[in-house]
Amino acid sequence: MSLRVLVIEDDREIRQLLQSSLGVEGFSVQTAVSASEAAAMLRHTLPDLVLLDLGLPDGDGADLVREIRRTHTVPVLIVSARHQEAEKVRLLDAGADDYLTKPFSVGELLARIRVALRHRGTAVAPSQRLHEHEGLRIDLEARCVSVDGQPVHLTPTEYKLLARLARNAGKVVTHRQLLLDVWGAEFAEHTHYLRLYMGQLRAKIERDPAEPRHLQTETGVGYRLAAG
Amino acid sequence: MSADLEHPVFLAPAPPRRRRDGAVAAALLAAATAIDLALDPHTSLASEAMMYVLAVVIASYTVSRTAAVLTAIGAVALLNFLFIPPRYTLQVDAQENVAALLAMLGVALAISHLAAVSRREAEAARLNERRARQLQELATELAASSTPGAGLLLAQRYLRGAFCGPFVIAPVAVDGELEVPHEHAALRDGLLACIREAAPLGPGTGRWPGLDAWYLPLKAQHHIGGAVCIQNVAARDAGGLEHAQAICALVGQALWRMKLAASMHAAEEQSQWHKAQNTFLAAISHDLRTPLASIVAAASSLQLQHDKLERPDQERLLATIVEEAGQLATLTENTLQLVRLEHAGELALDWQSVEEIVGAVLRRVRARDPARRIRSAIPRGLPLIKGDPVLLAQLLENLLDNALKYSADAIDLTAGTSGGRIELAVHDRGGGFAAGDDPGIFEPFRRGDRSGQRGTGLGLAVCRAIARAHGGELTRAARPGGGSSFVLLLPLDERQPAPDPT
Repeated sequence: MSLRVLVIEDDREIRQLLQSSLGVEGFSVQTAVSASEAAAMLRHTLPDLVLLDLGLPDGDGADLVREIRRTHTVPVLIVSARHQEAEKVRLLDAGADDYLTKPFSVGELLARIRVALRHRGTAVAPSQRLHEHEGLRIDLEARCVSVDGQPVHLTPTEYKLLARLARNAGKVVTHRQLLLDVWGAEFAEHTHYLRLYMGQLRAKIERDPAEPRHLQTETGVGYRLAAG
Repeated sequence: MSADLEHPVFLAPAPPRRRRDGAVAAALLAAATAIDLALDPHTSLASEAMMYVLAVVIASYTVSRTAAVLTAIGAVALLNFLFIPPRYTLQVDAQENVAALLAMLGVALAISHLAAVSRREAEAARLNERRARQLQELATELAASSTPGAGLLLAQRYLRGAFCGPFVIAPVAVDGELEVPHEHAALRDGLLACIREAAPLGPGTGRWPGLDAWYLPLKAQHHIGGAVCIQNVAARDAGGLEHAQAICALVGQALWRMKLAASMHAAEEQSQWHKAQNTFLAAISHDLRTPLASIVAAASSLQLQHDKLERPDQERLLATIVEEAGQLATLTENTLQLVRLEHAGELALDWQSVEEIVGAVLRRVRARDPARRIRSAIPRGLPLIKGDPVLLAQLLENLLDNALKYSADAIDLTAGTSGGRIELAVHDRGGGFAAGDDPGIFEPFRRGDRSGQRGTGLGLAVCRAIARAHGGELTRAARPGGGSSFVLLLPLDERQPAPDPT
């Protein structure tokens, strides 16, 4: 049975384009033109993935994401224009899984969908225990990290930060989520902690910290640990 | 100016000083009496009478009219009591002495009347002259002032100099509301009525004579810039009313002139803005049309001639569509960004890592740099900077894309600190720009002269706008051996954030 994708997009051209390009990849595509229509559809059938456009006529979708998250773990991908940073981050914080910035290519879209679906599988299974990607190995049970077989010594905070990213490998984790989970609620605005600790992590893990392959920066949003 | 403030010159008639006048009159009478008593054995009654007349004359010139008349009566009484026989009574025995006393009273009263009239005329002349001088000074100072605030301050200073009673100046604000100071809210109705009638109200004006204050409009032609209320005034002070009206007319005219100047200035700015907007639109529509034309041509060719085209031709047309659409997207993004930056207030700045911004930009730009021509050299441990990461990333991406487009050789991306600032630079070997620094390249829609090549006409304009929004600067310098260095300098906050305590 093919995977079902719900596309929530108010622009007819883009909606049809997404429908056909996802259709030829073997997805079964449902479409909705507004958040309320999507909410009604979600009450009847549950898709395997939701593609949500920001700036719908009846709201920015944050309520919809929260609604979905209350009952389901279905991956939600946000599609946003470049200047909608704040709304995008808000939806990611509300529980969306990843985002795509318009204009995007079909290749980019399919890659994001693949990552989102793959990690949906691992999230349903007991949480991820091992992350391995291009020489970086993070063993979340033994709490040890190595690069190209060489063990890397991390401070407790550095490890907590890396482990948090590894548990959602391939997906963007917002600044706020990282600060909440690693430092606690009272440090939710201390983005400079992240800048400093991510710098230290890049120095220890990356071959070229100025062009990292593992610890990717999502400018203005958060970080992502690259996954295969 | 300050001298006036320290020593206000009251141009209103002096208030009556009864006690002083009484003392002066008594002293004059006492002096005349003393001299007469001393000279009594040697002089005649006529000389003694003359002494009293002298006292009355002096009194007429120094004290109020009432006091002078009282002095005259007192002098006659004293002469009668002390010197006219029978002495030390108020009785007069000889007929001629009665006549002399009456004559003396008449002379004294006539003199005091004449003196009072001439004194009043002299005082009025002096007052008028000072008022005229004051109006002249006010006109000069108003002509030199350019803001309504300054004009109202002058009005305040000159009214304080001219009137002893309290006064209130209420200007009409831009929104048409009358600004009455809180503590004088009770005067609002009068001030509003004065503006509504566009005429002075209060004693002596013929309107609302029962008031104890003048309400005067700050009026010029049909424009009323506010109203003034001067309290504790008298109906008979016609000169004062005239002076107050003259001051208000001068200030009203100045306010009107300032309003006209301001609207002229606004109209001029508006027309400048329209001109700039038109240039901007003309340029942007050109830059939008060019890639659009390519897309329409390629797409329609694919649509109509799909079956006749060879596979490689189809691929080429598709690549054109994708590439030109990307160009359009960049141009649209830059245009929007420029407009947003022009209208943005303060940016929300947070701590950022240069290494991270460079990393994120390189990840995106590498897609357009398959030969890896960009070489980055970012030293470790650079201090954090305060910035908007999305804007800074866009700046860097624009610079790198520019370099990729205009240079065929290696491109160096360097970073460092210099003189309390962070320096980020993109060095290329492109040859298009004329030697020397050319600030024009940062203007919207200027490009180095490269026939056949199209660029994102706004790229560098956006870059500079972003740099400036961060309190930094973006400059271009020619490199020895050809090419350009685009150097971004961003201010460095000396108070670097402390790492967490763990």
